[in-house]
Parts: sequence; C-alpha cells; structure tokens
Amino acid sequence: MFDIIGKRFWFFLISGIVILVGIISLVSAGLPSGIEFSSGSMLTVKFEEPVEYDRFKEELVSLGYTDAIIQSAGEGQFLIRTHELSDSEKAQLESSLSERFGQVTEAQFSSVSPQVASETVNNAAIAVAISAIGILLYVTWAFRRMPRPFHYGTCAIVALLHDALIAVGMFSILGALMDWEINLMFITGLLAVIGYSVNNTVVVFDRIRENLTKGIGGTFEAVVNNSLVETMSRSVNTSLTTLIVVLALLLFVGATIQNFVVVLIIGIIAGTFSSVCIAPSLLVVWDRGEWGRFIPWRKTSNKKA
Amino acid sequence: MTRTNTIVLVVILIVFVFALWAVLPIDAEKLGRKGMHLGLDLVGGVHLVYEAEVTDNATELARSMSRTVITIQKRIDKYGVAEPVIQQLGDDRILIQMPGFTDIDAAKRLVEQTGFLEFREAELNAEGLPVYLKDYLEQTQLKFFDNEEKGDRLFSTSVTTKEGKQEHKTVAILTKDESGTIMFTDASGKPADKEALQEYGDSVAWIPARGDNGTQLTGDFLDDAQPTISQDISPQPEVSIKWNSQGSIIFDQIAKRLYSSTGDYSPKYALGIILDNTMLSAPRINSPKFEGSGVITGNFNRVEAEELANLLKSGALPMPLKQPPLYQEKVSATLGANFIEMSWLAGLIGIVLVMLFMIAYYRLPGVLASLALIFYGALVLALFKLIPVTLTLAGLGGFILSIGMAVDANVLIFERMKEELRMGRTLGAAIEAGFNRAWSAIRDSNVTTIIVCVILFWLGSSIIASAPVMGFALTLGIGVIISMFTAILVTRTLLRLFLHSPLSKNKALFSIDRGKK
Repeated sequence: MFDIIGKRFWFFLISGIVILVGIISLVSAGLPSGIEFSSGSMLTVKFEEPVEYDRFKEELVSLGYTDAIIQSAGEGQFLIRTHELSDSEKAQLESSLSERFGQVTEAQFSSVSPQVASETVNNAAIAVAISAIGILLYVTWAFRRMPRPFHYGTCAIVALLHDALIAVGMFSILGALMDWEINLMFITGLLAVIGYSVNNTVVVFDRIRENLTKGIGGTFEAVVNNSLVETMSRSVNTSLTTLIVVLALLLFVGATIQNFVVVLIIGIIAGTFSSVCIAPSLLVVWDRGEWGRFIPWRKTSNKKA
Repeated sequence: MTRTNTIVLVVILIVFVFALWAVLPIDAEKLGRKGMHLGLDLVGGVHLVYEAEVTDNATELARSMSRTVITIQKRIDKYGVAEPVIQQLGDDRILIQMPGFTDIDAAKRLVEQTGFLEFREAELNAEGLPVYLKDYLEQTQLKFFDNEEKGDRLFSTSVTTKEGKQEHKTVAILTKDESGTIMFTDASGKPADKEALQEYGDSVAWIPARGDNGTQLTGDFLDDAQPTISQDISPQPEVSIKWNSQGSIIFDQIAKRLYSSTGDYSPKYALGIILDNTMLSAPRINSPKFEGSGVITGNFNRVEAEELANLLKSGALPMPLKQPPLYQEKVSATLGANFIEMSWLAGLIGIVLVMLFMIAYYRLPGVLASLALIFYGALVLALFKLIPVTLTLAGLGGFILSIGMAVDANVLIFERMKEELRMGRTLGAAIEAGFNRAWSAIRDSNVTTIIVCVILFWLGSSIIASAPVMGFALTLGIGVIISMFTAILVTRTLLRLFLHSPLSKNKALFSIDRGKK
C-alpha cells in the first residue's frame, strides 16, 4: 500500500521549490501582458519574398517604430506589436514596407484602445475575485457536514492557490523564454484550472469524510491515507483523460490558443498533484499541529488533539 | 426494471439518431456556415467595437443607439455579408462582427461614414452675388452676409489629388455658437486659423438649401437611391435618387428659386450636394421642376457610386462614432480554414485516445463509456447547431476539453463499482451502488466548473464581446452539464442491459482483478 501522507514533507518541498522558482521568475521577469491588457496594435504582415529579420527590424526603426516588438512568424512573415495605430499610420506603415520589401499582405490585425484595455484588466480582476468567492462559498457548502469544515475548506483553498501560483509562475518562465504574453485567454485558462482542480480535492475530501463516518481504521493520518489510495486511480485516470485531450489540442491546434492550452496542462498537472499530495497532507499537518516543522529551527510544538 | 430500462434505451437511441441527423454529414459544406455557426477566428472576419459620440440625454441615447444599430445593419446587409452581428454593448457602444469579410479598412469605412447627405446653395450678398471666403476674411468683425440664414457656412474648394482626380475639399466651416459668436472651424470642428485660410479665398460660402417653410433638404427625405450611368456623351457613374412626397416639394421649391434659363455657370444657379461635410458636386439646376427625382453627380467610379447609393439608402447614423474604434481585430480566412481542420483532428484524436484508454483500463464498462462518449459528442454538437452556438477556436477547445472531463463521471462510477465488487457484491448490486454513491461526487465536482463558466461568460461578454472567451465558457458549460447526464443515464442503461446477457458472467470483462490492493 502507498504511504503518501508519510512523505508529506517531501511533497511540500517539491511544491515549495516549484513555487519559489515561479516567484523568482515573476519578480525578475514579471508577466508580460498582451495588447488586450496594455492596449496597442498588433499587426502580422506577410511578404511574397523572404525578408531577413534584421533588415525588417532596421526598416521599422528607421520608420520611427523604435518601441515596436517584432517577432518572426514563419517564412517572410512578421508580427509587429506597437502603440495603437491610427488608420493613416497603419496605411503609411504598410505602404512603406511594400516599397522596401515588395508586395505585402496583412495577415492579421488587432488594435485595442487604452480605455478598453483598462476595463478588461478591471473586469478580469473582478472575474477572478468573484470566482474565488464563489468557490469559497461552494467549498464551505460542500464540507458543511465535515467534522471540521473550516480545516477542509482552508486546505482546499490553499491547494487551489497552490495550483494558480504554479500556473502563473510557470507561465512567467515560459513568457520570458518564448515571448508569451498574458491575455484574456490566459485568465480563462487560469479560471478553468481553478474550477477543475478544486473538483479533485473535493472528491478526495469526500472520501475522507465517508471513511471517517464509517469509523474504520485507526488514526486520522491512516484514514486520510486510505482514502487517498482508494481515490487514487480515479484522480489519476480523470486527469489522464483530460490531459490526453488537452495534449491533442496543443499538438494540432497550436498557435492561437497555445498559451491557453499550456496554462491548462500546467494547471491540470499541478491540480492533480495538489489534490493527492498537498491538500490531504495539509489536513494531517493541521490535525497533528505540525506547523512548527515548516520552520526548521523550531521543535514540533503545541500538539493538538 | 428491465422494462423501464428498455424504454430508456429506446429514448436514448431516438435522441442519438436525431442528434446524428442534426449533425451529419460532417463534410466541409455542412461544417461551413450552412451547418455550424463558425466564429470569426475560424472563418476569418472583422470584429469592431465602436463608441458613439454621445450628446443626447439617457432616453434619447437609447433610441439613437438602437437606430444606429439598425442603420449599420442595413449598410452591412446591402454589402452582402452573411450572418453579421451588430449589437449594442453597454450604454454607448456598438459591436460589429462580420464573418468571412476580411477587408478591415472597407468594413470600417462602411460603418464609420456618418452618411449625412445635405443640399446647400451659395450665400448671396446684398447685391445678389455669391459670397466667397475672401469676403469673410476681409471683415474685421465676422458677420453673416445673409442675415436671414443662421446656419453654418461651408467653404469648399476644388483640389487635384495625387492620382490626378478632381475633388472638392472643405477648407473651413463658419459657425455661430449659442452666444452668437461667429468663428471658423475646419471640417472636423476644430478651430481654424484665419491666416491659414487666405490661400483659399476663392471658396464659395454654401448655406443650407431650404424649402419655403425653412426645412433644409437632407438625405432624410430620400425614398430610394440607385447607382446608374449618365446618359451624356461621356457616360459617368452617378446616383439616381427618388424623393419622398415632402422631399419632392422642398426640392422643387429650391429648384424654382435657383433655376435660371440664361447666363453662364455660376454657384448662384447651382445646388451643392454635400456628404458628411464634403461636397460631392455642385451641378447647375437645369430645370425648375423635378417632380420627385434627381441625380447626384460627382467624380465617382462605379464602386463608389454603388457605395454611395447604399449609404444613402441605409440613411445617416443618428450619432457619429468615435474613431479609431475602441477595439478592432481582423482574422484572415486562410488562417481560419486551417484551424477548422486542425481542431476537428484534435477533437477526433482526443476522443479516440480517451476511448482507447477507457477500454484498456475498464474493459467492458470502458466500451460502454466509449459508446456514451460518442452519444455525448453527437448530442452536444447537435445542441451547438440547434441553439445555435457560434463555434470559435477556443469554443472547440472547450468542447474538446469537456470530452476529457465527460468521462470523469464514468471513472468515478466504475471505480466505485470495482470497490463494491471487491467487497463481494453481485454485479447487479455493484452497478446500482456504484451509480448511487457516485452521483453526489459527480454533481459536486461539476459545480465549480459551472460557476467558473458563468463568470467567464460574463467576463467575455462584458467589454468587447470576446468571442474566444464566451465561446469557451459556453461550450465547456454546456458540455459539463450534458456530460453529467449522458455519463450516468447512457452508461447505466447499457450496463443494465449487459447484466442480463451471458457476458456478465465473465468477470475479467469488468477488470476486477485489476488494481487489487
């Protein structure tokens, strides 16, 4: 039989390291935001003839777009991100580019005004806040019949924050490495992850409750571990089926919803890990009053019932 | 119980056949616009959000906004865009989505043009001669020459464009504000410098052309407008117009006043045709009576004549829209076509892999869960089509994600069943116990996803009607709700059916030996 709970401090260590790396990346590289949040224009141009990146960049700088971020997007194709372009600025830019590099087509164009960008940030924050409140209410309700609902609720929320933090942290690393930016779809992925991950925790906790009421098998620690093992194949299988389809999405659909799918993948993995290894372990730590062990130089103290 | 089960099975089969009928055949034609409603990111297109220039009070604003929406709708309809979306967003915003229409500049032109058509005549001084801009510039204290006319004066001059085309350009507008101060502005309403206007001294001052009761002749009195070709020696595209009854009376009153059978061309005998503060032409009035019809001439090519006719027919926007739009996005169609194939492939591969996994792990129940999954897929797609749900790339992502999540209910039930079997229950009892005990977990575990979907839908629709976010929230939400029922109802019915077949004797089919403690 697996002893998961017994290795709880190893799991805390693993999570701690991943979260720490994410936080370091967040602090140093931050989360670059896309035009939906920071306003501006994004233009993908495509040339008939292949154009070198350096020459293209040079041309844009000489046209006065010193602030522009330029990415190569395939053969003779470039993505330009800059301030909000007016119609005449855009027309001018395109005609200058075609004079220099030949026939140019506009593959994609989007432009967001500062007003819409700030409202989007605002509403995204509201959405995250309302989701958190909604889930908090739900968790409180779901654990209403538990012996110590507050413990269960808190542990589920901690697990949820854990998943969100890992997703954001990892995304920050990917953002720094691959020039990814956060946008509304990122928030969508994050909220989907939060909704999904709390499910798994609820199923595990549900089994703990059931086994506790049945009154079988020894200490709280043993009951929790038993419940975990019993629900393990469910947790793993559900995550696997979800991961399968999300990976199919990543491999075949790619590009446009890539960021979103990656957030989902990170979140699903983190969510499964947290619902199996973190949330129940926290319950046990709380039950045994082991908080002192998180601080190495203090001895385990104030034992609780 | 067997009898109820048979009835349920028949119902399921009927629903399945109906769903297949609604969804199939899955070929390019049916998946195109005629079948599923595909979102902008899949078929390509233009997404615009405008803010109106608000001057009215709240009740007037609401009315103007709905009229603006209708006007834009008419313009786009005349352009032949299939299934455009034109909606009011919030109090003073308008959302425009034009699927399959990828010329964003043309789309913006079509929407942004105010389309205010008015007719003007030359201002005359005390001697009955046309007034020019230089006459106003000579004044030390600005004063209207024609005291009767309180409306603004529009000064237009003829310029040659880079392409060698003759065009009219509005150099200045002279307006009198509420306090009675007269001042020069440029065509967009910004104050203009008198010194800079010196070079345009020859521009005629055009005042509103009014009927005898003082009503200005505008595009509001138009009944119809059609692009035509002029009948002279050098045929030119032009726009034929038809006035309504009031318009034809006013027009004839003006024509009678301006008509002169003798003399050379003079602005005095001309009627200026002005669209959105820019003069199209100022033809001489060559008849004292028109009886309801007329022609708008100008330096048009055929496309421009057609665009103008459409613009006039759809009428003027009740309120101008701020430019540039708050949000604009263009997705090219070639990018979209690729996405459709790729996402169907992803969905297909995803569903097949999930089925293989379920069958490998759970054996017979896995096969039944796979059947339930096929039923689920067909039902959800049929719902998408019938509701209808506009499918975006992210929406397809939500649907595909829901496939992975849909089997969760089955996994919960099967795991429970295995435990019950291990505890020594009969197969029949284990199946029933598995379903009964798993239901609360299934229900509870989908609640949070549904909560998040509702919030996401709000977030997506709140500002720019973000199609991806709304699409994802909607398809995932529908998927999760439907999956709760299909996983339970379909799988349970099929399992009960097998309970009475010889297959149920073979315990290996239920993989009970697996995962033993």
